[in-house]
Amino acid sequence: MKSRTTTPVRIVALAAASCLTLTGCLSSGSGSEAEGGDDDTITIGISLPLTGDFSEPGKGVQRGYEAWADWTNENGGLLGKDVELIVLDDQSNADRVASDYEKLINQDGVDLVFGPFSTRLVVPAAQVAQDYGFLFVEPAGAAEEVFTQGFDNLFYAAPAVANDHYDYLADHLEEMPAAERPKTAAFASMDDPFAMGTAYGLRDRLDEMGVDVVVDEVYPPNTTDFGSIAAKIADSDADLVVGGTQYQDAVNLIVALQQLDYQPRMAAFSTAPTNPEFPEAIGDKTEGIISPTGYTPEASYDSNKEFVDYYTEKNGNPPAEDEANAWTTGQVVAAAVEAVGCADADPDCQQQLIDWLRENEVDTVVGPLSWDAEGRPQGAHLIQQYVDGAIRIVLPEEAKEADLVLDKPDW
Amino acid sequence: MALLLQSIVLGVLLGGLYALLAAGLTLYFGVMRVVMIAHSAFLILAAYLAWFFTSTTGIDPLVSLVATVPLFFVLGVAMQRLLISRLRPATLTMMSVLLTFSVALTIEGLLGFVFTGTQRRIRLPYGGDSFELFGANVAVVKLIAFGLAAVSLLGLYLLLKMTQFGQALRATIQHPEAARLVGINTDRVAGYGFGLGLATAAIGGTALALDSTIYPSLHWHWIGPLMAIIVVGGLGSIPGAAIAAMVLGMGQSLLQIPLGTTWAQTFFYVALFATLMVRPQGFFGGRLAQRF
Repeated sequence: MKSRTTTPVRIVALAAASCLTLTGCLSSGSGSEAEGGDDDTITIGISLPLTGDFSEPGKGVQRGYEAWADWTNENGGLLGKDVELIVLDDQSNADRVASDYEKLINQDGVDLVFGPFSTRLVVPAAQVAQDYGFLFVEPAGAAEEVFTQGFDNLFYAAPAVANDHYDYLADHLEEMPAAERPKTAAFASMDDPFAMGTAYGLRDRLDEMGVDVVVDEVYPPNTTDFGSIAAKIADSDADLVVGGTQYQDAVNLIVALQQLDYQPRMAAFSTAPTNPEFPEAIGDKTEGIISPTGYTPEASYDSNKEFVDYYTEKNGNPPAEDEANAWTTGQVVAAAVEAVGCADADPDCQQQLIDWLRENEVDTVVGPLSWDAEGRPQGAHLIQQYVDGAIRIVLPEEAKEADLVLDKPDW
Repeated sequence: MALLLQSIVLGVLLGGLYALLAAGLTLYFGVMRVVMIAHSAFLILAAYLAWFFTSTTGIDPLVSLVATVPLFFVLGVAMQRLLISRLRPATLTMMSVLLTFSVALTIEGLLGFVFTGTQRRIRLPYGGDSFELFGANVAVVKLIAFGLAAVSLLGLYLLLKMTQFGQALRATIQHPEAARLVGINTDRVAGYGFGLGLATAAIGGTALALDSTIYPSLHWHWIGPLMAIIVVGGLGSIPGAAIAAMVLGMGQSLLQIPLGTTWAQTFFYVALFATLMVRPQGFFGGRLAQRF
C-alpha cells in the first residue's frame, strides 16, 4: 500500500529531473559559421540566454548587440573592417554558457567576445575568457560576486554595480537634517544576488545614518504569495519600504501592501517600476514610487541620441536598459580596439585592450565609464520617481526632470 | 497580536485558494489514477484567458468564466477520450505523468508564443481595496477568490453526493469493474470526471489571475505545492484536499512570522515527507484513498 501511494510523487520528481537533463542536452544548432580568421571582418562571439528563464532580457541584449553591429558597419566598421556577430543560445544554463565560449574561441576562432546576460551566466563565461586571455566586457552582471572572483579581464559596461544603485538617494537622505530623515525602514528582497545587492547597498547606508531597520525579509524566487511578507511590513509601519525586486514580485508585493492599507512615507523598488508594463499593472497607484535606473532614453549624453534614433528607427520602439547595456558593451570594446589598433585573438592584443580600459574613460550612452581593478564601474544609477503620473529622473540634481517627492501620496 | 490576527485571516484566504486549485488534481487521480502535471498549466491558461478577456473588452474577469468553464470541460473530456484513455491501464499512472508533462510544456510554449513572456496582471479598480474585520484587513480580491473556491467546492461536493452522475462517478472511482457490471458507462463517466476537474481549473485560474502577476512558466511554481496538498489530503479525496489545503495554507502563513518566507515554504514538503512516512494514504482520505 505504501509504495503505491508514493509512486506518483517519485514519478513527478523523476520526470522533473529528466526534463532538466533533456533541456541541458539539446543543442542550439547554430554553430556552422565560417572560421573567423578572415582578414576583412572582425568576428565577435557571444552566448546569450535566448530560451529559458532569462529569455526575455536575453533577447533584449541580443537586439542591442545586433543594432550596435549594424550601426558600426554602416559607419565605417571597426578599424575599417566589417563586424560580424556569432550568437549562440545557452538556454539560461550556466554549464552551457561555459562550453559556448570554449567553442566560440576554439572552434569558431572569434577575434573578440562580448558577455552574456545575468550574474549567474557571466561568472562561468568570464572564467573561460580569462583562461584564454580574452578581454571580457559584459552588459549584465552587477552583483558583487562577479567582481570578487579574481578576474583581471572583466569590465561591467553599465554605470554602477548593484550595491551602488541607490547611492544618489542615500546621499540625498544623508544631507537632510537627521530629524527629517525616515526613522524606520523595512526591506524585502528576492533571494538573488542582484536584487539583494540593490536593497542591501541602501540598507547598509541607512544603517550608518542611524535609521532603524525593522523588517529584513528574504524570499525565494518562486514565491507565489506575498500576503504574509506584506503583513509583516505593514505591522512594522516603517517610514520607508524598500524592495530588492525583479518584476512580478515587486508588483505582487506592492498590491499586497495596498490591500493591507499600509501607507509608507517613501517606497523604493528596483527594476519593476521602470518597466513599461508596471503602470499597466498597478494602475493609478504608482505615484511617488522610487526606482534606480541605469538607463533612460531621455539621457542627454552625446552618443545616446544617436543610439535612440537609430534603434527606434530599426525596431519601432525606443531601447530599454538591456538594449542600452548591450550597445554600451559594443561602445566600450570599440573604443579600446580603435585606441590600441588591434582586434584579434592573440593574447598580446587582448592584453593591450585590457590594459587600455584599465587606464581610460569611455564615453557611452549611459555616460562616461571608468573601472576599478576588479571591473566595477565607478558611477551610480539615476534615481527615478513617478511624479504626476509619469516616471521621471529626480536625482542627481544636475540630471533631474522633476523634484524628488519625499512624502509619497497615499496609494 | 495584530500581526497574528492578520496572518490568520491571510492564511484562511490562502487556504481557500489552495483548496480550489488542488480540487481538480485530486479528482483526476481519484477517477483515473492520472497524475495530471498539466493541471497548473491549465490554471495559468485560464488566467491568461481571463487577462486577455479583460484587457480587450474591459469587462470584469469573472464574466470570462461563462466561456472558460464550458470550454475547459469540453477540453477535459476531449483530453481524456483522445489521449489519456489510450494509455495502457497497467502503466497508466506512470505514463500519465509523461503525457501530461508534455501537455504542460505545450501549453507553456503556446502561451509564450501567443502572449509573449511579458508578465501580465489584470488591472482591477478594486485590486488594492480592502475592508477591516476586527482590526485585520481583508482584501476584496482575495475574498472573491475565497468565495469562488467555497462555491465551486460546495457545488462539486453536492454534485458528487446528490446526483445520479455523482453516484456513477463515485462508483467508477471505487470499483470500475463493479460499476460496469451494474450498467454504468465508466468510459463516459471518466471523461466527464476529467472534464469536471479541468472546469475547476478554469475557475481556479481566474481566481488566481485576480490577485497575481502571471507569466507562461508560472505553473512550475504551483504544481509542487498542489501535489503536496493532495498527497497530504489523501489522493482522490476532495474534502481531504480541502482540509489539507486549509491546514497547509494557514501553517505557511503563520510560520512566516517566526521563520521567514524561505523556511515557511518548506512546510509543504515537510508535511509531504511526514505524511509519506507516517500515513502514506493521506491524513483525511479515509477509506477511498486507502485503495491506492
